[in-house]
Amino acid sequence: MSVKYIPVQWNRFKWYYDAAMLAGVAAFLWLFIHIAPGLLSHERPINPQVHNARAFGACAFVMLSIILASGPLARLDRRFLPLVYNRRHFGVLTAFVAVTHAGYIIDWYFAFSKSNKYEALLFANTSYGQIAGFPFEIFGVFALICLLILATTSHDFWLKFLTAPVWKRLHYLIYAAYVSVVAHVSWGILQDQRNHTFTAIFLASAGVVAGLHLLAAFKESRDADPVADAHGDWVAVCRADEIEEGFAKIAQLGDGERVAVFKQDGLLSAISNACAHQNGPLGEGRVVACFVTCPWHGFQYDVRTGRSPAPFTEKIPTYNLTVKDGVVLVDPKANPPGTPVDPVNPEGV
Amino acid sequence: MNTAELLFAGVRWWLTIGAGVAAVFLTIGIDRIDEDARGAYVFRPLLLPGVMLIWPLVLWRWLRIETGAGDEQARYVPPRATHKTVAVLMAAGILAAVVLGLINRPQWPADFVPQQISGPGE
Repeated sequence: MSVKYIPVQWNRFKWYYDAAMLAGVAAFLWLFIHIAPGLLSHERPINPQVHNARAFGACAFVMLSIILASGPLARLDRRFLPLVYNRRHFGVLTAFVAVTHAGYIIDWYFAFSKSNKYEALLFANTSYGQIAGFPFEIFGVFALICLLILATTSHDFWLKFLTAPVWKRLHYLIYAAYVSVVAHVSWGILQDQRNHTFTAIFLASAGVVAGLHLLAAFKESRDADPVADAHGDWVAVCRADEIEEGFAKIAQLGDGERVAVFKQDGLLSAISNACAHQNGPLGEGRVVACFVTCPWHGFQYDVRTGRSPAPFTEKIPTYNLTVKDGVVLVDPKANPPGTPVDPVNPEGV
Repeated sequence: MNTAELLFAGVRWWLTIGAGVAAVFLTIGIDRIDEDARGAYVFRPLLLPGVMLIWPLVLWRWLRIETGAGDEQARYVPPRATHKTVAVLMAAGILAAVVLGLINRPQWPADFVPQQISGPGE
């Protein structure tokens, strides 16, 4: 949360997160280069340039796998939410590692080409019409472009400027990038792999990523938030006594919009379920002193006004609500973001 | 000009136009459309590569905001339902890439003994 943009927002948790991430990358590269040559089929002599290229390539693949696994893990078990908290820093570092891999490859295999080395990368193999021997380099180029787009649009400015839904659709490129990286490895290094330790690690990682996403997607379908029933111009969300003190009930209003009805000091307030930052599920957060905290990145909103505490400026829509015969009714037409709404007594008094 | 040269010429043009868009957007446009950017300059160089890469999207959003196009409510409607489709497509893509890659691995004879067919320098 910020009032004016700064280059990078850090706090104590992010320092720890980034320190652990950098230490992990350094440890991986050191292990790959100095400890594991035999394990990874490097018993045949290769020069340091190729060895480094493989180390950075493998590191980028593992990092991308962790990034992609963290999202569904957090959906399946909230204890993994801290992994998601600073995931954009992880993504930017992954792009740097992938660029280093590409740099080693291009500066070794194409450095002495008579033409531009980047153009040589594209025309070195043009067997696009066959599966065996398909130019695997192009998969890597595509994935690298995706990673660069994601890394260069990771600043909070982009979320506000593009809007969170457009930003998220753009960042769905990470799925295409991952499939492309898997193809890059399958058609690349695996074609000549003698020792299958690396093959097994690679297949397990890709399988875990795919499996976790399928599990999370089907869990989301099974446990989908209920669709609010129409009651004239209002919609029924739930019974008032179903809402626990400090928590919310979420309901779908149609077109993907969701409302979260909170109980705070025995009174009810309704706000959009989508955080203004990355559209995180506010209704899964807890209210403390009228402020709900987004479980994804810690943004806070007053449930009575939809506004972040000063000096922060984020706002979300609020909803008018009433209680009839113990049923919470919400006006599906959202108020403009940051519109105060008086909390409602569930007893109707 | 071969295909590779043509592609790189296209990339250079794309980035050159992007640099032009970035020069105008990051000095004039950003102050007009985002109050949090006013008086904040140190972070702007970080946006430069992003604008160069996705400048058509930048121009589209800039126009929407300048003209007050009503997408304020759409800001709070995340594309959550899309995830299931994307997850299925990704899993299918991973499976296809792995299977096609592995079944087309070249199989070398295990007992192949290399023979020198000519002397050095011949």
